[in-house]
Amino acid sequence: MVLQLMTERWTGEVSAVTIGAAAKDGGTRAYSIKIGGEKSLPCLFKEGTLPNKPQVAFEVFDVAPNDWPNEVLKPYGKSVNDPLEWAQMCVQDFKARSLCIRLLGAHPDFGNKSSEEEAQLIKKLLEKVSVPLIILGSGDDAKDNLLLPAISEAAKGECCLIGPAVQDNYKTIVAAALADGHCVIAESPIDVNIAKQLNILISDMGLPLERVVINPTIGALGYGLEYAYSIMERARLAALSGDKTLASPFICFVGQEAWRAKESKIETLPEQGIIWEVLTATALIQAGADLLIMRHPKAIEKVNRYIDNLMTNDRTQSSK
Amino acid sequence: MDKFKVTFLPDNKIVEVAKDTTILSAALSSGVCIKSDCGGDGVCGRCKVIVKKGRVLSQPSGLISAEDRKHNVHLACITTIHSDLEIEIPLESRLELTLGTEGIYSVSENVESGKKILSEISFKYCPLSTKLYLELPLPSLNDTASDLDRIFRGIRKTQNLPFVQTGLSNIRQLGELLRDSDWKVTVTLGKINDTLEIILVEPGDTSNRNFGICFDIGTTTISCQLVSLSSKKVLGTKAAYNKQAGFGSDVITRIIYSRQEEGMEKLHSAVTETMNQMIKELTVEHRVDLNDITCVVCAGNTTMIHLLLRVDPTYIKREPYVSTANFLPVLRAHEAGIIINPRGLLFCVPGVSSYVGGDTTSGVLSSGLYKEEGLSLLIDIGTNGEICLGSKDFLAACAASAGPAFEGSGVACGMRASTGAIQKVKIDAKSFSVTCSTIGDARPCGICGSGYIDLIASMLETGVIDRSGRIKLENHMRVRDSEAGKEFVLIFKEDSATSKDIVINEADIENLKRAKAAIYSAVSVLIKRMNFEFNDVKKIFIAGGFGTSLDVDNAIKIGLLPDVKREKIVFIGNSALSGARQMLLSIEASKKTDEIARKITYFELSADPGYMDEYMSALFFPHTDLNRFSSAK
Repeated sequence: MVLQLMTERWTGEVSAVTIGAAAKDGGTRAYSIKIGGEKSLPCLFKEGTLPNKPQVAFEVFDVAPNDWPNEVLKPYGKSVNDPLEWAQMCVQDFKARSLCIRLLGAHPDFGNKSSEEEAQLIKKLLEKVSVPLIILGSGDDAKDNLLLPAISEAAKGECCLIGPAVQDNYKTIVAAALADGHCVIAESPIDVNIAKQLNILISDMGLPLERVVINPTIGALGYGLEYAYSIMERARLAALSGDKTLASPFICFVGQEAWRAKESKIETLPEQGIIWEVLTATALIQAGADLLIMRHPKAIEKVNRYIDNLMTNDRTQSSK
Repeated sequence: MDKFKVTFLPDNKIVEVAKDTTILSAALSSGVCIKSDCGGDGVCGRCKVIVKKGRVLSQPSGLISAEDRKHNVHLACITTIHSDLEIEIPLESRLELTLGTEGIYSVSENVESGKKILSEISFKYCPLSTKLYLELPLPSLNDTASDLDRIFRGIRKTQNLPFVQTGLSNIRQLGELLRDSDWKVTVTLGKINDTLEIILVEPGDTSNRNFGICFDIGTTTISCQLVSLSSKKVLGTKAAYNKQAGFGSDVITRIIYSRQEEGMEKLHSAVTETMNQMIKELTVEHRVDLNDITCVVCAGNTTMIHLLLRVDPTYIKREPYVSTANFLPVLRAHEAGIIINPRGLLFCVPGVSSYVGGDTTSGVLSSGLYKEEGLSLLIDIGTNGEICLGSKDFLAACAASAGPAFEGSGVACGMRASTGAIQKVKIDAKSFSVTCSTIGDARPCGICGSGYIDLIASMLETGVIDRSGRIKLENHMRVRDSEAGKEFVLIFKEDSATSKDIVINEADIENLKRAKAAIYSAVSVLIKRMNFEFNDVKKIFIAGGFGTSLDVDNAIKIGLLPDVKREKIVFIGNSALSGARQMLLSIEASKKTDEIARKITYFELSADPGYMDEYMSALFFPHTDLNRFSSAK
């Protein structure tokens, strides 16, 4: 007798979000990337289609980062002092498919660059590289409320993913994204309820949920990874059961968390940070991560290979 | 020991206290009440006072801003007295407990005493204490029964009860009393379980002057009614804030306070003072002699009853949350410090558990929940919200700590549902102008629970706030920044009775959101755990100290009540008080409460793993799961 495996039938699906506008869509990007669209839990190819591969974006700062360990700065050399050069290096040397620009320099404590200055930088960056962009504010609410509308306007029509929108501060950024045709990162503090509430608030303002990506907030391996995992799983189960307000793809800031772990900073074990970043990333892919923001080129290479292996496995074929 | 004179302004009340006394306790002994939600821990920042003259010592506190410090503002609870002082109590720190002689009626109770909202349950009329006028035959050599036997004989002629007893003090005065009154006396009889007791013997005929008082002792509000036990009429209704609020706004803070030195005595006298003042006013207004009040019935949550009877409530707070007594014997009112006839009786409505008390039992009695054919629900919205689910076949109850927001406490412009309270609000979707109606059509002084429900619903509807409760309306004359986040002005000072703007701020909305989430999630978990769904419930009784009415649609819009067919929901006002009144008038009702309290199964929410999840997802308007509120979308 053949053992019949149980398969779950889901009624809902994760919405597919497109980042980056190519010429045919009115932008200047060479291509766009698509994330989300899952109709099953991660890796359960037989239960439903998983049309889009998880994507990895390189993280680039507008000022030289002050808290990155040497190990992760090394591959970029001097270019970390110039965001344009750094971005170009990611694309040309490391074959980045998308970039995540963090405008830390606008933060009052880290340079307090003006919104105009940052808007100029984004314009130049869009000319320099042609990959889809993810753009993050400075992390200071008051400043971001001035900064992000300016950035959004500077990148109008390019369909960037901008953020973060948080429950206490989402209106300005959502309004800007609505006006300029961008997608928004909705960030919640490892809390499925707040993730959902924020999505409702955002869609109440008129931004379609197909243009929202959830940042569930994660912890690195050993620093609360399993907590993040379970929150993502809960949200994904709700999405697949038909809850539209949680059916957004996940963005996970893997590099930021992994390189903060003290295990990644041990000078005598230079490979360990890379391993830490890879393990955090692969675990989150299994939790349903759609877009991973990472730092070390070697780690990114390994994760990309892992994704390719996973998604082109013959198991994918059998789902047809 | 050094003693100092402290003058409180603007009351001009002077009190002499020992050095190192805190300003808060000096104020209480002078009879001036200062807000203190944390019970004197120095953490709530509600007790700000201004030191006009004299020397004080304050513990440092982050709740006093640099600006405040410049103006000599101190927290009364952590500031000690070191010289003669002059202290001003700003309006926002005052706890208004003054009972006027008129116009403080909580209208919901007035309505109850007039037209009946509840289908009155017909218990046989036989009050807990009755008066009987006796004209006794004179003793003679042929009839040498003792004075006491003579009275017993007189009583047995009218009532067939085998056991009659009385106390020694009555017997001591009997001989002279009977002879002086020419053997014409009125005896007051109280039924204690199955025994009849002579409570009192009075000269002459006072049988038409027999009164009782019923109380609902809430954590925040105390309400009471004076009832004529001979004519069954309700003579008057009063409501007042519980003076214990000065020692913390919820039962847990008060239990902690009771452990402090003299804490228990202070809490006990705070509640009895409030009650005695209310009784006194009722008797003055209705020309009733305090001596003719022979019986008191109290419905209250378990902690309130413990504190009233000066029973240590400590173990209510500690796991496994056990109270000292839920069923209390009939007591003398004076044992608890209640001033009525010195021999008058005190009945406490039996409770169910540490957090579901006699007020719930009383509510189940008056709503008739215990005899409903279909599944019904009673939701008593108070500081300690109680929920009871059941029918004639079973009863299950749980408690949810909602906080005093819906009773108008702990919110910027909140007030009890009394004259001048805004109880209905509508906001225009275009101009954001506000129309509201107040209780008694008086000039508005503040907002009561039903007003807040309307207000939040229309702020949501018109987009003044978003679903998380933040004010999103910008650049409008009604919106401005305040210390507690943004605020929305309902009534400008020109039109208010307090000559201050009547506002709602973001902290208020947050408070109300938590209160409604606590109630809704308790209801939801209880129903789920009993394996029912909202739609299985045939009738929902809503009780609470709201105004004359409660807009059910709006209560659903904000997610306080589940989204069910509107006709299922019945607003019944203060159900605990009407239950206590029924008890006062009928021994049968009293027996029924015993039966109900024993029948209710208590359900501990804190032991339920799903409660916290439910609560968190209810912290949204109307709810994070919008599908549950499809009609309010």
